[in-house]
Amino acid sequence: MSPSTATTNSPGKRFKPKSRVKRGNSAPLRGLTPLVLGLALWQIFGAVDSPYFPRPSTWVEQIVDFYGSGALLPALGATMRSLLLSLLIATIIGTILGILVGASRFFDRALGPTLEFFRATPSSAMVPLGVLLLGYTLTMKLSLTVLAAMWPILLNTRAAMREFNPTLLDVAAVFKMSWFRKVRTIIMPAVSTAILLGIRVGAPVAIIVTVLIEILTGVTGMGALLAQSQQQYNSAGTFALLVLIGVIALAFNFCIAAIEAFFTRHLPPS
Amino acid sequence: MEPQRTQPTMQSDLAFSCQNLSVEVTTKEGVKRLLDPIDFSVRKGEILSIIGTSGAGKTTLLRALGGLIPTTENSEVLADGVPIQGPPDRVLMVFQDYASSLLPWRTIRKNVALGLETQYRGKELQKRVESALDLVGLRKRADEYPWRLSGGMQQRVQIARALAMEPSVLLMDEPFGALDAITKNSLQDELLRVQEQTGATIIFITHDVEEAVYLGDRVLALGGIPGRIIEVLDVDLPRPRHQIYTKELPEFLRLRHRAYESVVEAELRLRSEE
Amino acid sequence: MTETLAIHIARSPAKKKSWISRLNWTGAATLTLLLLLWEVLDRAGAIQFNFIPAPSDMIGGAVELLREGSLQSAIGHTAGVALIGWLIACVIGVVLGTILGISRTIWRWTAASVEVLRSFPSITFVPLAVLLFGFSSAMELVVVVYAATWQVLVNTLEGVHTVSPGLRDVARTFRLSPLRNITTVILPAAASKIIVGLRLGLNLALILAVAAEVVGNPAGLGYGLMVEQQALQPERMFVYFISVGLLGIFLNAILQLIISRALPGITAAAERGQKS
Repeated sequence: MSPSTATTNSPGKRFKPKSRVKRGNSAPLRGLTPLVLGLALWQIFGAVDSPYFPRPSTWVEQIVDFYGSGALLPALGATMRSLLLSLLIATIIGTILGILVGASRFFDRALGPTLEFFRATPSSAMVPLGVLLLGYTLTMKLSLTVLAAMWPILLNTRAAMREFNPTLLDVAAVFKMSWFRKVRTIIMPAVSTAILLGIRVGAPVAIIVTVLIEILTGVTGMGALLAQSQQQYNSAGTFALLVLIGVIALAFNFCIAAIEAFFTRHLPPS
Repeated sequence: MEPQRTQPTMQSDLAFSCQNLSVEVTTKEGVKRLLDPIDFSVRKGEILSIIGTSGAGKTTLLRALGGLIPTTENSEVLADGVPIQGPPDRVLMVFQDYASSLLPWRTIRKNVALGLETQYRGKELQKRVESALDLVGLRKRADEYPWRLSGGMQQRVQIARALAMEPSVLLMDEPFGALDAITKNSLQDELLRVQEQTGATIIFITHDVEEAVYLGDRVLALGGIPGRIIEVLDVDLPRPRHQIYTKELPEFLRLRHRAYESVVEAELRLRSEE
Repeated sequence: MTETLAIHIARSPAKKKSWISRLNWTGAATLTLLLLLWEVLDRAGAIQFNFIPAPSDMIGGAVELLREGSLQSAIGHTAGVALIGWLIACVIGVVLGTILGISRTIWRWTAASVEVLRSFPSITFVPLAVLLFGFSSAMELVVVVYAATWQVLVNTLEGVHTVSPGLRDVARTFRLSPLRNITTVILPAAASKIIVGLRLGLNLALILAVAAEVVGNPAGLGYGLMVEQQALQPERMFVYFISVGLLGIFLNAILQLIISRALPGITAAAERGQKS
């Protein structure tokens, strides 16, 4: 669904968006022109003291400010920690459940509606519920994020199990593989590709929900900082943090895509 | 070359011995018979081609010999004198869908090593993998992934993987069916060469009647639904076979004619049964 | 190959199953069982969460809310904003997506920007929207439109991009005008992917509507959730919560129905696309 972010450049340039290879028609850096142009025009023609649309230079000032006041780094750390942890847990749970419902028709039908309900319910609605049950804690944050982000992983794993190439199972029989060896050398690698895809799709979800929770509940993190700026009518700060969070999301997704590309290099480029 | 004589053969000479071999499968509608009881045997070192109409049970028969599907209670199927219960020892199957049979996340080399890994390690493993690769001429591309290889090469990888196990029997389901004519011919000759070198018994299914006669020592024609043996042809052509010269021999033409006829006959019988 | 099929999939010709046999009885049974378990454990005092009410309490809460009229008006508000916002987003998204997708030149000069902006989590725009529009339904609508538009746009883009070159050649051979090209070739070919975008956009619209309500619009289901959570009224809060879920399912089902009526055959193609 999301255009693949195949990497042609080396990672490591954190705040510079990468060019994308898209079906042989590369979308090079010149595609950033509208953005850069927009920012430049804003900077040049924007009112110096506009309350609602402060110029980009003010954003940078705000970031420096946040850094200086010691608010930025802890928030950044909290968000990143939460993000990585929740993605890890989501992968584990999503994989296990995905294998379960993928391999067994019974479990698929039995758990189906229940899972479907949770999948369909928006994460934003679950936040007040989570707060009520678990309070303003890391557990709450992680639980809700995991609940939201595990679906792509679960669904992809389930699909991989159900559409498993039957010839490979024949090969396992012909080579007289033990159950253990069959799982280790044939089933797991095949499913891993699906899991990785699920992680790539689930990462943006994890980001959104993590930030969402931070905004809604004020739990430490970039989102909380953002909400604070808004509450203090700090428009420059709001814009600045919005862009910063966006860039972080970009970099994070890029890294995940790079990891996926690395582990699926045995696949033909699509 | 002496024509093959139908002399009584010892059990120990037989790769397979089948009496009343029949396959049934239970569906929602009840029991469906895929293969009528048939009797036949396969000598060691023999190349047996199986031809026939669609649905006549060729793949069923092959899978039964490979121990992948069960036969009925009355069936007696012996592989090297031992009743079949699951894939028999040293009997390996090469699948029609070669692309799906290779593990896409492994290199060619690692694919060929699949069957050997549990028994051998290190240098010994490498040695066996290398010799299997040499048998099919794929040493140069051994470190690439399957998707980069053409269909013919992928099929050779599958064959190499089977050969690496030093099987006594190779069961092949339309191994060259999806390949272009030139690749097909070269793989046919490679198969003959390999068989000569290793002495393996080869049973293969093909839709190509010429291929069946060209490669085989005998041709088994199946027909009808459920399938049964229409004819067994002895192929008395001299070895080594040659793509041009063998195919010009009058005997080749006669056998080819006869084989086609039996398939057509089976087709007609099928139509009349419907 | 047919013989393999005969063994592996020995199957009867497709019979029309009665709708009764097609219902997921196992699933319904599991769900009912879980609910019963919950009820029993709660009554028996085995579960001691202060804030998880028994299902029966929730029904009581629901009745209360319905009598007050708060539930209906909340549902109406959230559904209304989500739908209106979604419709606007569909139009903008499809139009922009088509424009960006059709012209290679335009795409080359905008692709990277689209990729960058798209990665910005839509939720981060909520505080900005509050700043600009205050606590109002306008704010909520803006947020919904923004988020849903991206979804629809991206999927439309992909749909248009993946129109097979063969079809494009056909359009050129017939010398179709740009408008006819778009309406008779491109859009129908991209339809299944566009529809995936529309469905995802609707889900997103609902999510953002509720999120915007929780943050700062005193109306709708999100607001109700907030209010009851702060008032420590778990039964009522759960009612709102379940309403959100049900609303989502309901809206999706209606959309699905409309699509399958208007464009039969498209749903199978769309379903295949939804896997990723």
